[in-house]
Amino acid sequence: MDRREFLKRVAAWSAGMTVVGPLFRVTQTAFAAAPPTSGIGSVPTLALASGADYEKLVTKVLGALGGMKKFVKAGAKVVVKPNIGWDRNPAQGANTHPQVVKALVKQALDAGASKVMVFDRTCNDSRRCYANSGIAEAVESIGDRRAACEFIDNRKFVPVKIEKGVLVAEWEFYKDALDVDCYINVPVAKHHGTSRLTLGMKNVMGVIGGNRGTIHQSIGQRLADLNTVIRPKLTVIDATRIMFRNGPAGGNLSDVKILDTIIASTDPVASDAYATTLFNLKPDDISSTRAAYQAGLGEMDLSKIRALRV
Amino acid sequence: MPRFSQIRCRVSRVRAAATWLARGRFWRRMTQIACLLLFLWLFRKTEYTGVTEIPGAANILFRIDPLVAVSVMAEAKQLIPMVLWSLLLVALTVVLGRFFCGWVCPLGTLLDGTRWFGAGHFHARRFTHRWQRAKYFLLGVIIISAVFGLPLAGWFDPFAILMRGLTYAVDPLWGHGVTAGFAWLYQRAPPAITNVSEPIYAFLKKTVLPFQDVTFRFTGPVVVALAILLAVFALEFVQRRFWCRYVCPLGGLLALLSRRSLVRRLPVKGCKDCGVCGEICRMDAFDVEGRLVPEACNLCMDCIDKCPHDRAKFIVRKTRTEPAPLDPSRRLFIGTVATGLALPAVAWALRINRHVHPRLIRPPGAGTESEFLDRCVRCGECMKVCPTNALQPALFEAGTEGMFSPRVVPRIGYCEYNCTLCGEICPTGAISRLPFAKKQWTVIGKAAFDKSRCLPYAKGKDCGVCEEHCPIPEKAIRFREAEAQNEQGEKVVVKQPYVERDLCIGCGTCENKCPLEGQAAVRVSRPEAVV
Repeated sequence: MDRREFLKRVAAWSAGMTVVGPLFRVTQTAFAAAPPTSGIGSVPTLALASGADYEKLVTKVLGALGGMKKFVKAGAKVVVKPNIGWDRNPAQGANTHPQVVKALVKQALDAGASKVMVFDRTCNDSRRCYANSGIAEAVESIGDRRAACEFIDNRKFVPVKIEKGVLVAEWEFYKDALDVDCYINVPVAKHHGTSRLTLGMKNVMGVIGGNRGTIHQSIGQRLADLNTVIRPKLTVIDATRIMFRNGPAGGNLSDVKILDTIIASTDPVASDAYATTLFNLKPDDISSTRAAYQAGLGEMDLSKIRALRV
Repeated sequence: MPRFSQIRCRVSRVRAAATWLARGRFWRRMTQIACLLLFLWLFRKTEYTGVTEIPGAANILFRIDPLVAVSVMAEAKQLIPMVLWSLLLVALTVVLGRFFCGWVCPLGTLLDGTRWFGAGHFHARRFTHRWQRAKYFLLGVIIISAVFGLPLAGWFDPFAILMRGLTYAVDPLWGHGVTAGFAWLYQRAPPAITNVSEPIYAFLKKTVLPFQDVTFRFTGPVVVALAILLAVFALEFVQRRFWCRYVCPLGGLLALLSRRSLVRRLPVKGCKDCGVCGEICRMDAFDVEGRLVPEACNLCMDCIDKCPHDRAKFIVRKTRTEPAPLDPSRRLFIGTVATGLALPAVAWALRINRHVHPRLIRPPGAGTESEFLDRCVRCGECMKVCPTNALQPALFEAGTEGMFSPRVVPRIGYCEYNCTLCGEICPTGAISRLPFAKKQWTVIGKAAFDKSRCLPYAKGKDCGVCEEHCPIPEKAIRFREAEAQNEQGEKVVVKQPYVERDLCIGCGTCENKCPLEGQAAVRVSRPEAVV
């Protein structure tokens, strides 16, 4: 009997002995959001804007997609999921820019959200990441009790069967990321040693439990599998700063280019595909974009995507 | 209209309250509780909170500890300014006596607290006063050994014993236990209950619980540290304040300092018609003639408040009295010196031919191994404050004398790139306080790949988590594309990681994040142990 077997048996026995099992058995069907809403008409649409005032940029791109009210109904529970993975400051471009996060949270609150949660399962010490990224402070500075930037609570990871998974059949997901009305994905666009770039698809790593490192084996397909569970209604890619080398952790300002650009789309694959071009790469170069496209999560063919520059 | 008897009753209640307030014991107890709470609060605050500087931490206790000061300076043979706060305690003790033991020491307070758990019922045996000199023996051995290069203070310093026990065992257990309870409710109880339990849990998390689950996985040091702490408490069932009377070397040092203190008790000698004070004394501080021995008294005020004749009181003398002779027997003196010399010799003999353990990675700023061990008092504060739980107590990796000293165990936690907390908290400067820029280039080890386990080498699979997490901006782990055989025996091109040795600082992030089960495929060793 090896350790795993032993643990399994212990788990089985204790599960049998507890009178009631955990109440929140999450099934994928219970939480999976609607399939990606197609853009204006049926053409996958994305909006992008450039400028130094990030709050304005967010307003602009959202406006082009129909406004926040289209995604957040009154009383909705909203997750704004930035990348807070690293103990780096905003200038270093390893995390989503705090002003972008703040603007989105504000918009969601203005649209009447009952609760806006901001969180990420970090790579470095979470306290350091939340503080150094400036995101915790940015959310707090809104001063609205409906919005909170909270640390991950390990009790909230629940196993989810991934029916459409090719390589990943089951994985633990963060309950708060599943149990929402509107999930807004806010990745930062940057270089990554293994997957070449980390964009929207890769940002799902922050809402899963378990031994995340194993995802890196055939990372593209595995990320696509995970993304069949988390279906953001809106993806906002922060390309205000892009780290074009030594990612995803970076650290040197010389590895960061300031683009002052934000891309937003309801199609999570389209936004990734477009963001790839900022790095002078083709959508096809990124295995997760390819795999997600093949899984039917969205469009990666740039000629079929309508890009609205606002 | 209240009746007369009621008024009298009220008056007497007020009077009772007044005498209660006038009692020395009341104030002593309040002070004890306040100091204990302060200590526990500081203990909780000895944790990363989001700001880089920790404003107040439990290390203050070690900086006012003259035993730590004397032994560490004897060991390092240099003046260490940060421990000179202890002169404050020295000065106060010279004037007031061992008030610290009776009124302030958190361990002493906890020992007094054991009486609530029935410790009072077993005090049958009396030890003769000669045994009280045992603490002087221990003190002498610690200081002499320190001069000759064997650090022992950490084994016997009361704060080190308390801090270690709390840090390694009590606090993690408390955290795990409470969290597990609320987690159980959270996962199983209906909303009616969780709606109540979750806010309570959130409140506890904000106030008295550790931020995260912390583990000290090397059972050896944890068990030893907890056993020592429990032994100190168990001795309380033999005699009240057994530890303080007979063992505590800090108590011994304060006792020597308090021999000429200005506080004296009257009557000087016990009364012929009564002997209550001698019987109730928690420090057994009255000699055979009923005289209060100042170096044994911790000014607990019991004998004043419990004197059946209201005769006893403490007064402050203007002139210093000549203390009773210390009477160190020749045997005790020779025994102390001989032991103090013999132990370093034994330790030295054990060290011959010993290589430093290749995996003994010290925290950044620790200096050479011997410099580090000279100064480290094994208080465990660095382990308490380490945000990633990377610092773990050594068992025998650093020799017997290095037990409880901190080592980085990357598989449990890595050294956080932007963090300098251990150097900030260390009470003796064993881990020096490094500025950020310097810390980020301080080499504590070097990483090396085990190509028989690393997936891109051994199985031709993509991985690269180590490279992803490497905190060095220029990347101390890089990829080179190479041909390898996959599990189907096909030739494939994969990115194989390698260590850029000159850039690696040995933080252990790669080893920590390696996704393999069990041992990592990239491991950090001492710099000299890596080719």
